Amino acid sequence: MITKTLSHFVLGLIVFIWVVPFVALVSTSLRSETEAKTAGFWTAFTPTELGHRFSTHDKGEKIKIFTMNGNIFDRLNKDKDSFIVSGEINSILIKQRIADPEKPGKTKLVRKLVPAGELMNVRGGDFIFSKDGSFTWTFSEETLPKPKNLDVFINQNPIFGTDAYIEVLFDNKNVPNALISSFIVTIPATIIPITIAAFAAYAFAWMQFPGRDWLFVIVVSLMVVPTQLAFLPILQGFSGIASWATALNQWLTDCEVKDTCQVASKSFASLWITHTAFGLPLAIYLLRNYIVGLPKELLQSARIDGASHLQIFTRLIIPLSVPALASFSIFQFLWVWNDLIVALYIGPNNSSDLVFPIRLQKQLGTFKDQLHLLNASAVISMIVPVLVFLSMQKYFIRGLLAGSVKGG
Amino acid sequence: MNLAVYREKKSIGRQSNIVEAIQPWIFVGPTLVLLLLFLMVPALSTLSLSFQESDGTLSSRNYAFLWDSSALGYLQFRLAMRNSLMWLILVPSLCIVLGLLIAVLADSVRWGVVAKTFIFVPLAISFVGAAVIWRNIFAGGGIEALETINGSTPSYQIGLLKSLLGHTAEYNEPLYSLKFWGNFFLMWILVWVQTGFAMVIFSAALRGVPEDTIEAATIDGANPFQMFFRIKLPQIYSTVLVVWTTLVILVLKVFDIPYALSANDDDKLLLATMMENARNNWSIGGDNVDNLYAAIAVMLMLTVVPNMVFNGWRIRREQKELGN
Repeated sequence: MITKTLSHFVLGLIVFIWVVPFVALVSTSLRSETEAKTAGFWTAFTPTELGHRFSTHDKGEKIKIFTMNGNIFDRLNKDKDSFIVSGEINSILIKQRIADPEKPGKTKLVRKLVPAGELMNVRGGDFIFSKDGSFTWTFSEETLPKPKNLDVFINQNPIFGTDAYIEVLFDNKNVPNALISSFIVTIPATIIPITIAAFAAYAFAWMQFPGRDWLFVIVVSLMVVPTQLAFLPILQGFSGIASWATALNQWLTDCEVKDTCQVASKSFASLWITHTAFGLPLAIYLLRNYIVGLPKELLQSARIDGASHLQIFTRLIIPLSVPALASFSIFQFLWVWNDLIVALYIGPNNSSDLVFPIRLQKQLGTFKDQLHLLNASAVISMIVPVLVFLSMQKYFIRGLLAGSVKGG
Repeated sequence: MNLAVYREKKSIGRQSNIVEAIQPWIFVGPTLVLLLLFLMVPALSTLSLSFQESDGTLSSRNYAFLWDSSALGYLQFRLAMRNSLMWLILVPSLCIVLGLLIAVLADSVRWGVVAKTFIFVPLAISFVGAAVIWRNIFAGGGIEALETINGSTPSYQIGLLKSLLGHTAEYNEPLYSLKFWGNFFLMWILVWVQTGFAMVIFSAALRGVPEDTIEAATIDGANPFQMFFRIKLPQIYSTVLVVWTTLVILVLKVFDIPYALSANDDDKLLLATMMENARNNWSIGGDNVDNLYAAIAVMLMLTVVPNMVFNGWRIRREQKELGN
């Protein structure tokens, strides 16, 4: 019984640790800029004291008064249609000059927190405010006060909004472009390797040719070669091809060398083919093991009936191998979608064609004071892979197991 | 099917010997060409690049950081190796311990499947995304210049962990920037991502443990701990080993997390980020940047070799059992 309770507790704790970061991510993305960068995400769910600045009245507003009545919340929420501040006013921070006790005849600037209900001197008038935000500013004679900016601390009610998402998705092209680029890269980089690998896997499983077993071992051991080892020569290769293509383009269309007919060496196409090559070893490993496991009698009877290898492959093997094909496509899709390093080296480097991980990596710098935008952008980058992952979890797990547990 | 029809079909469908001999090569051809052009030749060419000066003459200068304390990259290489060693020991072992723990616990409670899904989801997101996520937890104080935003605020600690540890108002670094100790926070991000992988594999392996051994142990009065350590763990030992190698290779190649959060900090270097730094920031040191890069790549490869040998051996054995 004790072990049972302990199991619940320990597992609960671990799940809690795993989930809190997601809560942080989503809640930060739904807050206003000021809140996101001044108070931790855990304060977003309860009333929390936050600082704001309001001006007593508009700049152009010229009013001769003895008394001005207003409301701090109205002033703060002027021109706002989201993240409307509400709550309870705690205090106002006021800077005043007072006689310096240490240096007679001089004054010094002091900062003082004035609580609600306490009278304070603002521009020579008596300023008093209450917790609900209403304030009265009274002068002894008729005056024309300049607007005064005051820092106010409000015990603020929780408020969430989707402004950050609207901003990153519609006000700026970076995130939509990253999303489009990621799709452009990922879809072909998933389909091409799986097609090529299926043929090879079939050959490795059911065809006879000299050196078959050891070619297979070589192919599969390439799985662990660090891809970093290949980047520079691949890049040089692509630049070679690109300068060739540029020359050809020039010869065919006689355009200027600069800009117009320059063929880029780092492009979506170079990413497709590189990701294809890097994905092949795992694809062949998974598919071959699956195809070998299909009943041998199938192949034999099909051969006896006179089917060619191509017919067996397209009519028999492909339909039967759908689970293994699905497993690999998820791996490859997630891998390519989330890849940073290959895209960094081989992918296009003009700002509009950056894939999402590179964009996000850049935003870690550019949005370091706009955490709501950074987190919103991260959420958007995760939606696609998480949906794919959750909807096809079964195949993902099957693929993982096929790679690691014998006979799984 | 009568014999005549059978014979007829056979003669139609039968492919000539030449086709029979060439066809397999057409099937595997594209694969072999791509792997040759994009993995094997480049790898060898990187190897040869690493032993050359930028003008192509043979030289061992690129590897000088191994022995010459005045060489470019001497300090960085040592830091990268120190960090790699820490990552290598801590990340796989934490993932494995946590993965085993979760697999066992999730099996014993009714909401285990839900729990496992939560642990599993980080596997789907990018390392950079994970870095953004954990930034909210490991961050330091809010922003430096309090006065520049609307007034100031008394609670401006935006990192959860620092807040829990009781750090308050002054501006301070994020935890992952701490000298030396920052490495451990970066490691934790990878553990958070990869534990789901270990958990899934162990979960399946534990379910594969033969019932009769468990029954026998129950009859003998084994407690849950004995059951796990004496009965189950020894039987999934080979799976643990496989998970361990996979994670080791992953850790050796890890790049995104340190690159995203502390790209230029020597104290947080790993071999992969050191390569990137060599290519981008060291051009002042000489014209052989690419060759130096190649040399570090070769060092990275060398760290993977023992695992590769083991993996190759495992696959060969597996194929023998599977294929015969």
